[in-house]
Amino acid sequence: MDTDAAQKTWELENNIQTLPSCDEIFRYDAEQQRQIIDAKPWEKDPHFFKDIKISALALLKMVMHARSGGTLEVMGLMLGKVEDNTMIVMDAFALPVEGTETRVNAQAQAYEYMTAYMEAAKEVGRMEHAVGWYHSHPGYGCWLSGIDVSTQMLNQTYQEPFVAIVVDPVRTVSAGKVCLGAFRTYPKGYKPPNEEPSEYQTIPLNKIEDFGVHCKQYYPLEISYFKSALDRKLLDSLWNKYWVNTLGSSGLLTNTEYTTGQIMDLSEKLEQSENFLGRGTDVNEKRSEDKLSKATRDCSRSTIELIHGLMAQIVKDKLFNKVGLGK
Amino acid sequence: MEQMEVDVDMSAKPSTSSSSGGASKSQDLTPDQQAQPQGNIMAAAGISGSVTISLHPLVIMNISEHWTRFRAQHGEPRQVYGALIGKQKGRNIEIMNSFELKTDVIGDETVINKDYYNKKEQQYKQVFSDLDFIGWYTTGENPTADDIKIQKQIAAINECPIMLQLNPLSRSVDHLPLKLFESLIDLVDGEATMLFVPLTYTLATEEAERIGVDHVARMTSNESGEKSVVAEHLVAQDSAIKMLNTRIKIVLQYIRDVEAGKLRANQEILREAYALCHRLPVMQVPAFQEEFYTQCNDVGLISYLGTLTKGCNDMHHFVNKFNMLYDRQGSSRRMRGLYY
Repeated sequence: MDTDAAQKTWELENNIQTLPSCDEIFRYDAEQQRQIIDAKPWEKDPHFFKDIKISALALLKMVMHARSGGTLEVMGLMLGKVEDNTMIVMDAFALPVEGTETRVNAQAQAYEYMTAYMEAAKEVGRMEHAVGWYHSHPGYGCWLSGIDVSTQMLNQTYQEPFVAIVVDPVRTVSAGKVCLGAFRTYPKGYKPPNEEPSEYQTIPLNKIEDFGVHCKQYYPLEISYFKSALDRKLLDSLWNKYWVNTLGSSGLLTNTEYTTGQIMDLSEKLEQSENFLGRGTDVNEKRSEDKLSKATRDCSRSTIELIHGLMAQIVKDKLFNKVGLGK
Repeated sequence: MEQMEVDVDMSAKPSTSSSSGGASKSQDLTPDQQAQPQGNIMAAAGISGSVTISLHPLVIMNISEHWTRFRAQHGEPRQVYGALIGKQKGRNIEIMNSFELKTDVIGDETVINKDYYNKKEQQYKQVFSDLDFIGWYTTGENPTADDIKIQKQIAAINECPIMLQLNPLSRSVDHLPLKLFESLIDLVDGEATMLFVPLTYTLATEEAERIGVDHVARMTSNESGEKSVVAEHLVAQDSAIKMLNTRIKIVLQYIRDVEAGKLRANQEILREAYALCHRLPVMQVPAFQEEFYTQCNDVGLISYLGTLTKGCNDMHHFVNKFNMLYDRQGSSRRMRGLYY
């Protein structure tokens, strides 16, 4: 009986009605947000926003939506708020637009959908405004293309604060970790003070020009993720059921198509660098060197991914196929 | 491999199903309590669900977020309501996504706002055209008579809705604090009454979702600064194997206890455990071995090529630097050809 009573009091004490500090972020302060939006601190400094925080839910929604699009690009909007130099993304929703590179920009029907959706969201206590848009680049990395840059520039002129997020569902699966980038563009004519080399990433040959032309017009934000206390608890118990999938998945089999594409792309890149090498003139020396090094880096990356896939396979083979043979 | 997973999952299941069965059984044992104000809302323990459910983690995260947000905004926990959408194929239901529902309180009763539902339905149909309305979700510990009332309202939209209940205040870590129910109409005291029947569920997933969940689940523990790509991959495998190990230990312990006479033998569990052992090694067909070796060879070849490329690159750098040193002195451009 004593233990019963003790448990009761313990439960009462732990049935905390107050907010755990990590859930504070989920509260929306309309007054504060309006003040920030009225003050427009980002107009003075093109580099104003430095960090972005994405909720676990928004991340999952974006990744799932991007994946459901297959090889088509999909697009959606994000809801959230602003705090100092940080943009906070609370939720995301899909827009009824999909298409190829040239078509991904919100059109009339999408706008209509957008307003209707946000109105409906307000009714169930989701008070946040739109703070950005996301779209997918299936298989070719996280960066902004020319069209993306102009879309984002337009958004940053009329819809501030606004951020652009790019998700690559194919690479997410092949690398085994979420491939996602958040970007803001510089105003027209602005020259970034120091050209810090952004993190190197593999870009297929047919897109490399588009990347090279526009890559100086925007900068990436530092991404971090957050989750609520309940999320944490649920995720912990989720793992209790989830481990089977980790063991059961085979990176080699799900990515065959992507791997083949990567190898094709690599061979083309190597051929190009070979051409440059053959000429061997002083003018081209610097560039050809870059080409070969880049190709090597891409090559190492895909090799490592494949080796990881094989490691998992071998572990499973040892675990399930080599037992019970001794008898 | 596939078979193996299913079996392992099954062996883990008795604990969850017995707990839900236990709940309904305890209600059976005290029939006089059942008729109390709470009302009789659970079907007899013997009735099992008619459908199998697979649930996507996204839905769980969605409900969790909905609840947390309401708590943050109102300062106190509240019961939240929402709709579940997914695909139904025969008796298999896959719950893929969810959205919030608006409720009005009229008197003491909570009423689902139909206009709001219709609006949202139109919206999700535009984006996820292949998903249908499956049921609804709420929070709380056990279904109540109020939930029956909501279930009746929802039944107007979909004839046999599924109800998902998440208990955000549960402190158990071992299994997910959520329950699924379907409803049936039965005669109780000569009156047609709606009763809840507990359902079992499995977690469905898709590669990208798995990685996403892995990512958010481990993102805080992973910020130790030291970052090895190999370790990152192997850690996931390692913890999965550890989990398998603990599960097997449980089965082993059970069998030992049965052998020692400490526990009563449950034929069903023993049969399953035997089937599990019998299946090892999982794959012994020559065809598999051949394919497996091919796969190994393919990856081996690719890594060989990768290493070669890397070697070429290093060589190239070396030659360049070499040229740089000696070209200056010799200053003859024709000589350079020699070193390539």
